Amino acid sequence: MKLASMATLIAVVGAAAGGAGAAESAGGLALGAKVPAAVAKTKMKNVDGKMLSIADVTGKAGTLVVFTCNHCPFAKAWEERIVELGNTYAAKGIGVVLVNANDPAMHPDDGFEEMQARAKSRGMKVPYVVDDTSGVARAFGASVTPEAFLFDKAGKLAYHGTIDDNRQEPDKVKARYLKDALEAVAAGKKPAVPETKGLGCGIKFRG
Amino acid sequence: MPIALLVASLMTVEAGTPTRVDVAELPAIVAAIKAPGAQAVLVNVWASWCEPCREEMPDLVRFYRDHRAQGLRVVLISADDDDQRAEVARILGALGFDGPAFIKRGNDMSFIDALDPKWKGALPATFLFDGHGVRKRSWLGAVTYDDLRTRVSGLLNRRKR
Repeated sequence: MKLASMATLIAVVGAAAGGAGAAESAGGLALGAKVPAAVAKTKMKNVDGKMLSIADVTGKAGTLVVFTCNHCPFAKAWEERIVELGNTYAAKGIGVVLVNANDPAMHPDDGFEEMQARAKSRGMKVPYVVDDTSGVARAFGASVTPEAFLFDKAGKLAYHGTIDDNRQEPDKVKARYLKDALEAVAAGKKPAVPETKGLGCGIKFRG
Repeated sequence: MPIALLVASLMTVEAGTPTRVDVAELPAIVAAIKAPGAQAVLVNVWASWCEPCREEMPDLVRFYRDHRAQGLRVVLISADDDDQRAEVARILGALGFDGPAFIKRGNDMSFIDALDPKWKGALPATFLFDGHGVRKRSWLGAVTYDDLRTRVSGLLNRRKR
């Protein structure tokens, strides 16, 4: 379908609502915001057993924080691409950390040992840490897995959203949102598309 | 049995018969939401592997059965992959759902923003539209029968006594 006619359809259902809908939760860090001070130095256990904070992994060119997990089919579908981007841009000066904020009591697959196994099998060269109170995810306003937050070298949120436009068929991706944003931030530029959305699993917040 | 109840029970798909599930992009989904004849339309986005979605589904289907005679339409949209179509049909059939059901294809962002721009895409999510397609309410997370009754009943035709 042509983009213009799709926009018309969205206007019919979406804009006709005109804000009448009362969303029960929404939000997330605003573009330009910094990592919330309350959690920037929160230590989280990495799959190698060491304790790391987002401040510890901050890169010279920027910092990428991705909320993800083991069990979610959406996160799994994008996992290979997330790891590849993380490994690639970590070598280009972007600090990268993958964060699992899910309560493993709700999904045993999201437990620490399973994270270690996943990190090994996927060849992760970047930290994959446990947000063991879900407090970091809450402070970010993260609600979905996977959900990416990319900060520029000044520490300001430059990109927030999903990975690309085709979860199911990697070879048919047309818009590589996160890759393009990483490329821009690594080059000291603003991403052309700073905010996106994708379907995902709700984060299984701990108590 | 009163005639109205008898007719309603005959119209209900026998539990266990797979529900018809269409693989569709946004235009077909919007058409199903906006089709004339409903006083209120509940749109639920779910997936077969999503536990909170599966937990709320019996309440949603029961609410639909109890209120469709008053003008309620329920549109169920699965985020499953296409190859799960038979499983999606089986799950909904087991609950006796006979309304419009889809597996969503196409761009996520257009889909999300069409239902509610404030929604970030987490499953499950449920949206209430009036009969003119105007969104009245969003539940970003699981819903219960009582949640729905509180918000939806005011849009529906009164029960005939």
